[in-house]
Amino acid sequence: MTALAEPLPAVRRRTRMTPARWGLYAFILITALYFLLPLYVMVVTSLKPMAEIRQGNLLALPMSPSIDAWIKAWTSACTGLTCGGIRVGFFNSLRILVPSVIISILVGSLTGYALSLWRIRGASILFGAMMVVAFIPYQLFIYPLVRVFAVTGLGQSLLTIVIIHTIFGLPTMTLLFRNYFASLPVELFKAARVDGAGFYQIYAYIMMPMATPMIVVAVILQTTGIWNDFILGLVFAGRDNLPMTVQLNNIVNSTQGERAYNVDMAATLLTALLPLVVYFGSGRWFVRGIAAGAVKG
Amino acid sequence: MKRALFASVAVAAMALSLAARPASAEEMKAEVIHWWTSGGEAAAVKVFADQFTKAGGTWIDSAVAGAANARNAAISRTVSGNPPTAMQLNTGKQFDELVEGDLLADVDAVATEGNWKAVMPAAIIAAATRKGKMYAVPINIHGQNWLWYNKAVLASVGAAEPKSWNDALAILDKLKADGKVIPLAFSGQKNWEQNLFNSVMIGVGGAQMWTGILGKRDVALAQSAEFKQVAVTYKKLKDYVDAGAPGRNWNDATNMVIQGKAGMQIMGDWAKGEFVAAGKVPEKDYGCTVLSNGSGGYVMGGDVFVFPKAKDPSTTKAQMTLAKLMLAPETQIQFALKKGSIPVRSDVDASALDACAQKGMRYVADKAQQMPSGDMLAPPALIGALQDAISQYWNTDMSADDFSAKVAVVLKSQE
Amino acid sequence: MRLSLSSRASTISALLPALTVMLVVYIGATGWTVWMSLTNSRMLPNNNFVGLRQYELLLGNDRWITSVHNIVIYGVLLVSLALAIGFLLAVAIDQRVRAEDTIRSIYLYPYSMSFVVTGLVWQWLLNPTLGIQHVLRSWGFQNATFDWIVRPETAIYCLVIAGVWQASGLVMAIMLAGLRGIDEEIWKAARVDGLPKWRVYVSIVIPMMGASFATAAVLLSTAVVRLYDLSVAMTNGGPGIASEVPAKFVMDHLFERANIGLATAAATMMLATVIAVVAPYLYWRARKGEIR
Repeated sequence: MTALAEPLPAVRRRTRMTPARWGLYAFILITALYFLLPLYVMVVTSLKPMAEIRQGNLLALPMSPSIDAWIKAWTSACTGLTCGGIRVGFFNSLRILVPSVIISILVGSLTGYALSLWRIRGASILFGAMMVVAFIPYQLFIYPLVRVFAVTGLGQSLLTIVIIHTIFGLPTMTLLFRNYFASLPVELFKAARVDGAGFYQIYAYIMMPMATPMIVVAVILQTTGIWNDFILGLVFAGRDNLPMTVQLNNIVNSTQGERAYNVDMAATLLTALLPLVVYFGSGRWFVRGIAAGAVKG
Repeated sequence: MKRALFASVAVAAMALSLAARPASAEEMKAEVIHWWTSGGEAAAVKVFADQFTKAGGTWIDSAVAGAANARNAAISRTVSGNPPTAMQLNTGKQFDELVEGDLLADVDAVATEGNWKAVMPAAIIAAATRKGKMYAVPINIHGQNWLWYNKAVLASVGAAEPKSWNDALAILDKLKADGKVIPLAFSGQKNWEQNLFNSVMIGVGGAQMWTGILGKRDVALAQSAEFKQVAVTYKKLKDYVDAGAPGRNWNDATNMVIQGKAGMQIMGDWAKGEFVAAGKVPEKDYGCTVLSNGSGGYVMGGDVFVFPKAKDPSTTKAQMTLAKLMLAPETQIQFALKKGSIPVRSDVDASALDACAQKGMRYVADKAQQMPSGDMLAPPALIGALQDAISQYWNTDMSADDFSAKVAVVLKSQE
Repeated sequence: MRLSLSSRASTISALLPALTVMLVVYIGATGWTVWMSLTNSRMLPNNNFVGLRQYELLLGNDRWITSVHNIVIYGVLLVSLALAIGFLLAVAIDQRVRAEDTIRSIYLYPYSMSFVVTGLVWQWLLNPTLGIQHVLRSWGFQNATFDWIVRPETAIYCLVIAGVWQASGLVMAIMLAGLRGIDEEIWKAARVDGLPKWRVYVSIVIPMMGASFATAAVLLSTAVVRLYDLSVAMTNGGPGIASEVPAKFVMDHLFERANIGLATAAATMMLATVIAVVAPYLYWRARKGEIR
């Protein structure tokens, strides 16, 4: 790697632009192009009318850019008989997202805490089983879970979908928190026990406050996963709570109907906005959070 | 926000129903799961919804794009005890198990009342009937093996509308020699590769080959010289297809024909929607025909609605009302106009339909041309296994002999 | 430290949700899946026992064999490339570059978008008549060829290109955190010793970041095994069956092809493979005393 062939001078407020530095920026520029290319195509396509898209010049800038596709995607694209765009499901997605994120993190952190600090026989088996299960395509569980929820009378509802998201988030969340708590100095824990603090007290007053960076990481991972989920929301949320991804699917995915690529792109970008905002907003935290504990294998 | 929308629809529906007829004792609600989500398809479904509203009901629309997704949602609902009022399927064997599990209500009474059996093609009635009763309501016929061509492009090489596959191959040769356009517009996705193969199989092999392979699963037929001839003809078409075909969506291929960048495309009659959207006129800008080497036919696919058994009598009433109005002659015409399919009843006034649709109705009127689709003859598992084999054959340099052997294995292994 | 009775009760009560979920959902559903693979269920589950017939069909199924072959290629390439690129990106950003926030966001944003449409965009970009090859030729490079996606032998590598695009950002974030966790003292000591920077990375830093690499590798591996969306959106398993993957095989047969028996057999084989790989690792970790 030529970029770092020579040792850099001690860091000052202004680093000198050595050839190595130029190499570094060149590397960053080239990789950034690779990452940005699809985004460029998506944005540019979303600003073109269909007639221009049919011409097929993928990378060309729009001749007469217009945000019609964006407006259509948000407010008036047809998703069946209703032509209300993806806006229709936005609040449903939020209503599913917020409780699911909160509860899945709560349960996951509690489980991770219990597994890491409290000696219980079989903890490693439970943990191992959870890791294995994380590899299974979750679609397989749909049918048995449908039956289970039907039998327990919960059927399809907001509560059901929140429980479902908690269930499927459990392995990853437990992993994150277990590793984090295990990496904390054990003296802290022992001191608290000596002071007479109980299981839940230590969790609530000592461990969780210290786990703020990890909580932010968990929020980001869960937000992305739950916000972009389609099939679980379709099957378990109930007709009144269908998330935005159902409308997005109806707009983008069509077997025999016409396809409006500009609207598809706009709709996808709009759907991605919320996770992106969460990323930007907590970018700093994210990095620091993973640093703290997830890395300890 | 969605609730407000539905609430206003419900209120409007109620107001309409109050205005249209004397106050009815109960309100009929029908939740319908279907996969018609694009603009044109939604307009077609609206025809049914409007009619249902006029009859005093409330249409609750649960559209899910992607047939497999919609089926998945509908079946999950049915199995968990909260079935929709009606669900869409393709005409064929998809609902066998639902009938066996006694999960569907039969529509025999409505069928008898409407005299459906006299006006629908026999194959379609058979596809909708199990154990002697009709369990599905066929609502349209989509022709699957149409050939669409750009009139100007064909005229430029002095070609007339092809009648058989031999004619078509000659024209493709001319176009290729001329070098100005791509002879055959093609979308390289598994199901379209299969659709093209099917068109060749029925167009070259004829009706016997079609029902023999797909219906009777005749292993010997799969290894016959005639079948290999079909395979060779199919593979020859690859010479006329461009390098960018793999992965292309079917609409983009149709677009090539519309723009004059390609000569022809084999596609079902839903392709008409693209021509209409681009403002093209049938028999003027583009032509449509079905190729046959003598004993072929018009492959009829289509959609049906089935009705999960309901405990509530008002739901059953809604279901039977839906069944009845979907087959009403005027509704059939309106639906066909919006959807691009042709009505499933033969006794409707076809003058409002465009030239290609009228052609389709003439094909269907001829009993000898009525061919059941693959879905009507074979279960999804067999169709899927054939699809994999066909796709492999098209995309690799597998020989026709090997392909024929593979098909034989597939036919044998699916009980 | 021995647990008092109340502590033990609290611990178990806290683990109750996880235990319930594990039993009912995971073990229950997995058990159901394995049972289904021994039946001839089609669209709806039935209990007609057919022994190992589905597995026989599976082993003779070209598409399944290709899928397994493909996921191994994809897995090896994706994990090694994403780890390498993620690490390099993290190192690059760690050099106190300007506009770090923007650059980091550029690498991370792909993770926020589902593959349904981004897969289509990549398909356009890699299609020879629409994308990069077409653009290069229109710029005058007449013999430029980049048609991997339409050729059966190379289609799977296109999935790798898109997969790396999406995953590297997450790996970068993990690595960057690991890098930032390394003591300033190490750098100072290395400078005193006069070591060139790259040697510091290779001989000291990378070994210290074993945990970061491990976490990233585990996350990437789960994504590899579950690969579905990308395969559908980009190539739909094509051309032909050249880029089919196991999760897509399972999904297609579960829903569209109404063949629960075959789908669950495929899923069981996937599960068995994962257990075969993960179990020895966990056993080794337990032996080392890191798992209680």
